[in-house]
Amino acid sequence: MKFPDELHYSIEHIWVKIDKDQVVLGITDFAQSELGEIVYVDLPNIGHHFDKDQVFGSIEALKTVSDLFMPASGKVIDVNSKLVQDPKLVNSNPYDEGWLVKIKMTQSDELSQLLSAEEYSKDLGI
Amino acid sequence: MEDVVNIQTMKMVLFSDIHANLPALEAFFGDLENREYDSIYCLGDLVGYNIWPNEVVKEIQKRKIPTIAGNYDFGIGRISDDCGCAYKTDIEKANGSVSISYTNSVMQPRERAYLRTLPAHIKVELQLNEDKLNVLLVHGSPRKINEYLFEDREEKSLKRIMEQADADIMCFGHTHKPYHRILDTGTDGNNHFRHAINIGSVGKPKDGNPMGAYVILTLNPNSSILNKDSIEVEFVRFHYDIEKAAKAVESSPLPNDYATSLREGH
Repeated sequence: MKFPDELHYSIEHIWVKIDKDQVVLGITDFAQSELGEIVYVDLPNIGHHFDKDQVFGSIEALKTVSDLFMPASGKVIDVNSKLVQDPKLVNSNPYDEGWLVKIKMTQSDELSQLLSAEEYSKDLGI
Repeated sequence: MEDVVNIQTMKMVLFSDIHANLPALEAFFGDLENREYDSIYCLGDLVGYNIWPNEVVKEIQKRKIPTIAGNYDFGIGRISDDCGCAYKTDIEKANGSVSISYTNSVMQPRERAYLRTLPAHIKVELQLNEDKLNVLLVHGSPRKINEYLFEDREEKSLKRIMEQADADIMCFGHTHKPYHRILDTGTDGNNHFRHAINIGSVGKPKDGNPMGAYVILTLNPNSSILNKDSIEVEFVRFHYDIEKAAKAVESSPLPNDYATSLREGH
């Protein structure tokens, strides 16, 4: 199971890739593996603002549905439209083609609460 | 596959998830002998988990019952070792592997070929006095043959699935746990009631009640999306010889856990 070192992680299994005040979000390899085959990704509209820990969407897998929790406050500036046609990209490529949304952060200090790859892996006990 | 039906009144019998349980299927047909109905549909998963897959296929086939494919039928039809069952635990996976291997080993060519002919969906468009109603029959969900739509599925998700499939009444099985949910998808003060109906399982119930289960859907000429009570859903339970099926499992290479499940309804 992969947790790239250059990413940050929330305990709600969201990875965060930081590029100045913009961040890309997705779910971790662990999360996609636990969910199993993903059949639908419900993502927010561009322009919508979310506070940290708010639900910003959900992922529907064959046997379960899981909410997505925002790891940092911000405004949605892009969503991965490829997932409409091919939600399984989240399974096959969770850190790249399977990204979910891009946000512009409004509280950059919240990033300090995220975990490193090592901390996230340790938190999972793997 | 689409049927267009002009009706005055209609009672539709819907059953699924027999899973090679011949005593349950025979008891189901026995239960129907005392009932009035106009049409009958089978929502798939004829095979797997019990010892009579060929006999169950023959019984459905000889009655010419319109039937859709379940995920297990799809897999066995193609001699696959994957039933698409999304097992979670290691025990479930190990048992599941024995079941599909066993079923593949006993399936006869003619019955296997029949499974390959089954369609994915049946859509019945009913022409009523005030309205038309689209009844969509699927095994798991309109988008995936093996998606589990449990009763606690979020309303937003169920509504989206039904709207995208243009289904006023969506009937499905796969989870083996029957329920009926009514969802209002109307806008601007106009009601549009949609019905999500899980019809339960004839041969492998999992809702804690080991009796076989099926549904009778009753519509009348005034049934409408505007009136949520104009569509009647009856959940029928019937007795069958559970011990015969359970002991047959125990005398076969199939896991004994499946016998316990039959006796306890889980």
